[in-house]
Amino acid sequence: MIGIDAKIGNNHDLAFFEMNFCPSHELVSLVRRFVGTFYLRMLSDPDLASRVALATHELLENAVKYSSDGETNIRMEIKPGSKGHLIEIRTRNRTPTDNSTILARNIDEMNAIGDPFKFYQTLMRRSAKTGVAGGLGLGRIAAEAEMRITCEVNGDVVEVIARTEDA
Amino acid sequence: MSAINIPPIRDLDFSAETSLNSDELRIKLTGSADARAVEPLSNLLPKIHAEAMRLGTKRVVVDFLELEFMNSSCFKSFVTWISMVEEATEKYRVTFLSNPGMLWQRRSLHALSCFAADLVSIEGTPS
Repeated sequence: MIGIDAKIGNNHDLAFFEMNFCPSHELVSLVRRFVGTFYLRMLSDPDLASRVALATHELLENAVKYSSDGETNIRMEIKPGSKGHLIEIRTRNRTPTDNSTILARNIDEMNAIGDPFKFYQTLMRRSAKTGVAGGLGLGRIAAEAEMRITCEVNGDVVEVIARTEDA
Repeated sequence: MSAINIPPIRDLDFSAETSLNSDELRIKLTGSADARAVEPLSNLLPKIHAEAMRLGTKRVVVDFLELEFMNSSCFKSFVTWISMVEEATEKYRVTFLSNPGMLWQRRSLHALSCFAADLVSIEGTPS
């Protein structure tokens, strides 16, 4: 199932892109490329577009991995911020409670440290000792994409929000 | 010169080819290393390490010039590999060839170089 709803504000003070779909790994890469092009056209900032595309890819891959019914909603917005544009990426999907609990705990740990790059290096050290794939996605979004991550849990629905503001 | 016996990865959107150039092992990655590449890449890198140790290689060069993207799980495979090199008795250096036109590489490879500053170096070439 794929649905796409896209709208751009008349005076470009708001642009958003929203999609409901059942993402496959191949579709995730296609969406990343689209998002990168979309943000490059809207903001004319290649570095920012690259960061947002990276964050989108990581968030969607997490959704593919942890969604309990295979469906994901992703919404990306550009809106006026205090210094420039505020960019926000939200993914929403259903997931078992155990997964959302672990997710919320990991995000809290990361935000409590307050230094995304330092936390990322800690995650890398930790993950090198385990044989389990994954574990770096959220840290990568915070450290490399320079986006702040939060999550909201409502029953079995989890929403992960990544935000950044260009100066 | 010893031959290397590391089969290439050749998938639709991702490939990895290994070669021996003088006394350097070279790995060239091409395409998009997304979730579909995780398993083959995580199988490949320990083989690279074993071969580098067998040959007494001083340097392994990882060519990212045509690597459009790499996800965090594939990135973790490199973290695991670099950790193996750190723990080896005979260490070799790992040099990444980075494409400045692929902006994600600057950030990801910077993180990897900080992870193992004594082992990892990055060389950028014009895109």
